[in-house]
Amino acid sequence: MATSRSSTELLEQIEKLSGQTVSDCYQCGCCTSGCPIGEAMDPPPSKAVRLLQLGEAPELLDSDGIWMCASCLVCGTRCPRAVDYARIAEACRVLVLRSKQSRVDPDTVTGPELEEIPQQAFIAAFRKSSV
Amino acid sequence: MTKYTYYPGCTLYTKARNLDICARKAAEKVGFELVEMPSWNCCGAIYNAASDDLAAQVGPVRNLAKASQLGDKLVTLCAACHNVLKRVQNRLDQPGNEVESERLKTFVDEKYERPVKVLHYLEVLKQEIGWDNIKEKVTKPLGGLKVASYYGCLIVRPKEVLEFDDPENPQVMDDLMRVLGAAPTRFDFKAECCGGYLVVNRRDVAKSASKKILDNAKAWGAEAIVTTCPLCQYNLDKLRAVTDGSIPVFYFTQLLGLAVGLAQDELGLEHNAGDPVGFLKSKGLL
Repeated sequence: MATSRSSTELLEQIEKLSGQTVSDCYQCGCCTSGCPIGEAMDPPPSKAVRLLQLGEAPELLDSDGIWMCASCLVCGTRCPRAVDYARIAEACRVLVLRSKQSRVDPDTVTGPELEEIPQQAFIAAFRKSSV
Repeated sequence: MTKYTYYPGCTLYTKARNLDICARKAAEKVGFELVEMPSWNCCGAIYNAASDDLAAQVGPVRNLAKASQLGDKLVTLCAACHNVLKRVQNRLDQPGNEVESERLKTFVDEKYERPVKVLHYLEVLKQEIGWDNIKEKVTKPLGGLKVASYYGCLIVRPKEVLEFDDPENPQVMDDLMRVLGAAPTRFDFKAECCGGYLVVNRRDVAKSASKKILDNAKAWGAEAIVTTCPLCQYNLDKLRAVTDGSIPVFYFTQLLGLAVGLAQDELGLEHNAGDPVGFLKSKGLL
């Protein structure tokens, strides 16, 4: 588990850091159907919000899905309830990182293609997923 | 000639020189000058949306403060820099956010003189120069080249802050291509994510997202793609998401430069993947 805090405390922190209210979501699934990374994201946005609604914040913080969101903001732009899932995923990542756990260790990122990748990608990736 | 303070950002100095060089030279051809801001620093590459994360905003605030001493406008070109600087400026100006805004402004050494209007190069072309004036400067029209304009996510969203264009079906780059004599194609994935920075540790995901974009552009008959983001350009052009029959991915500044008469060696084509020179020659454009 990412942190030792209770699910209720975690949800409070996620809502505060993201500025979103998870009970606003009525589970229409528009976010998940439009997510360009949706098929690789587990859980996808609508299911992630459902986990929070059901009091399963620790499960979401332990998931792979929150690290797959690249904040393209398609979901929030289309959401009929104005829930911005990218900010919820950001809050979840921040909580994990603040418990001193990196998702990506820069030392493990290797390969010849790294010479070519623009540096904005490295800065963004490590800021989003490393302590 | 109108001068604008210009923020190039780190990637335009290295991996995306082909975005920057022709932008500066093409600007002079169409009637404005980009004056690089002295001692700029990294914008942070990505906006941090956590409500309490002030440390992540300091870098961009310093750039905005420095820019505010030079004028009331700041021109960007990299979609990521544009997104970060514009969102941080918006955060500083947000009604009800005065306490945080003041803390940030006073934290940096540079005196914050005034709010800065962060303008993307495309906005300068459209709003400040105007399509008609650009059309007059076109000496080598693009011969009806079928171009898909790929905007990606950073330049169009969040729509209420970026105020750039329609977040689902943006048009500004299509309009520019039309002015330059190209034939913009329809395209379903104009503003879909290419996978962005996930390419660093999840190359498979970025590849799959990029493949969908390339396949869709080709399905609509595009012969080439234009973009304004170095990361989109990399993911679409150099990731080899489509193993055969991929199409060239140019920066819009390269096609602008070509159309307003920059020399071949000023277009930075050696930084694109594949054989962009051969492609442009085959279309009679070089």
